[in-house]
Amino acid sequence: MPRLSQQRGEQRTRTAMSPSAAIGHLDADCFYVSAERVRDRFLRGKAVGVLGNQGACVIAKSYEMKAAGVKTGMPIWDALRLCPQGVYVKRDFRWYEVLSRRMLAVIRTFSPAVEYYSIDEFFFEARSGVGASLQELAEQLRDAMLREVGVPVTVGIARTKTLAKLVSDTAKPFGALALLDSDAERTLLDRLPVTEVSGIAERRAARLEPYGILTALDLALADRRLVRRLLTVAGEALWYELNGDPVLPLHADRPPHRMLSRGGSLGEAAADSDRVFAWLVRNLERLVEELEFHVVRAGALSVYVLHKNGTQGFRRVELASPSDRFDLLLEAARFCCQRAWVPGLAATRMHVIASQLRRPGFVQLGLFDPPEAQARAVAELKRKVNAEIGRFALRSGATLPLYDVYRDGAQGYDICDVRGKICF
Amino acid sequence: MFAGAALALSELPMELMDRHDLGRRIRDRGGEREVQFLLSEAERVLPVWCNGQLQIFRWGNRRGESPYLPCTAWTQLGTIESGGWGERTIEPVVIPATMGLDKGVWYRIRQGIRGLVVQDERGRPRVYVICEPSSHYYQIMTRGSRWMPQLIDERI
Repeated sequence: MPRLSQQRGEQRTRTAMSPSAAIGHLDADCFYVSAERVRDRFLRGKAVGVLGNQGACVIAKSYEMKAAGVKTGMPIWDALRLCPQGVYVKRDFRWYEVLSRRMLAVIRTFSPAVEYYSIDEFFFEARSGVGASLQELAEQLRDAMLREVGVPVTVGIARTKTLAKLVSDTAKPFGALALLDSDAERTLLDRLPVTEVSGIAERRAARLEPYGILTALDLALADRRLVRRLLTVAGEALWYELNGDPVLPLHADRPPHRMLSRGGSLGEAAADSDRVFAWLVRNLERLVEELEFHVVRAGALSVYVLHKNGTQGFRRVELASPSDRFDLLLEAARFCCQRAWVPGLAATRMHVIASQLRRPGFVQLGLFDPPEAQARAVAELKRKVNAEIGRFALRSGATLPLYDVYRDGAQGYDICDVRGKICF
Repeated sequence: MFAGAALALSELPMELMDRHDLGRRIRDRGGEREVQFLLSEAERVLPVWCNGQLQIFRWGNRRGESPYLPCTAWTQLGTIESGGWGERTIEPVVIPATMGLDKGVWYRIRQGIRGLVVQDERGRPRVYVICEPSSHYYQIMTRGSRWMPQLIDERI
């Protein structure tokens, strides 16, 4: 971020940006619910809650359910008290990805550079056409998305990514707003708590509070050096962005991963060693899929385990040479898991993490690794069978204790399996 | 345990509504009217596709009603497969539903539920909901229901 290193004076005078180009942010309105409504008209107009894979929590809710007081992340039994007539559906990330990619295609017809930020959020270079303003562009994009994909969205256009996101957040639902005037920006920032700024969560807000920085405008007007001291260079970037100076780049292509991880909740807590090992193998097989897709090898492997009693375990090992081979990585993963998991304690979450990623061409092979040919042949066979028959059709026998998980089709695809996004 | 179903009002012919006095079961949900068939009703009934017709049958058998039939509203898939219904003539049917109810949770049903129709000693048809062991998801969602209805071409 070279611009951040430049020493600047105090609060800069804001300059109006060219009204023909800016940054846009498109955010689907209650995306998972909207996606369910695309394929199921019955759900339209009703209070709908999408439940996570375990069925315990509301991970998305319609505006009707929100009006009843239900919040994202709320356990279903609390939601039931607030909204007894709500209808609950199970999440389906395969379907959500289909719509997400359709949305991406529509935005690309409006913009030469689009960042696939998350499954339901996109940043884009906003350029107004001949005879059309950025406000009209925002409205046209919003309407096209509803017409062509069936998903209601809100579009915000502003001078920077951070401002564009704030604009779309405040224009919801089904809004379209191009806000390029600095006075209008100031009015908006003045009524937003600082935690509304993407990147300022409670911990950072607590650091700002003693200095009287409570709103987004307070942050924009604060001394830049103070902000940098309190929130490091990341906070300083936000300061520039809030002041209309675009320093956060638009990533039309996803930058290479620095690490890859697979895992998450185990659903039913697992205390049985065979079941814990089965989860380890499942997560590792998913991780190997990712390594192969991105054509990288792991130089180090880590396993994280969260126990039901709240204790955590973590172990990391460096591999003799970077690898994407299941057999070699399994040895490392088993070693880590034996140290991260406390036998007898029920585990509730697990992550298997590959780091020190290297391209195959730069890999120094290990002297003592078993021969590659057989392992590569097995991996290739596995890849072909699963591509032909379906994911996990051919998998390690160690995953047999997870019969219930593999039987549930929805468990076969997760949000992290949606590739190309910048953000989780 | 499965405690009821709802069907969009538009799915039910008026003649059937009138004949079975279903009007009092109509509820509004999000501006759309539906008919609710609840286990807690004094008169328990369910809609059933039988012989190509949508009909309304009594749901299960209560204590003091038919001595010929088991006193329950559900039957397990395993019971049917192991011949638990004995010599009785049973007929698999479809119970159309847009939503199911269990422990207060209304959940979406895309097509319907599998059911079983059997006649009592006076030849009156009764429908039982076919159940199977709950998925982990269903158990969590309903806070412990061990049995879930067998849904058509769908498993949640």
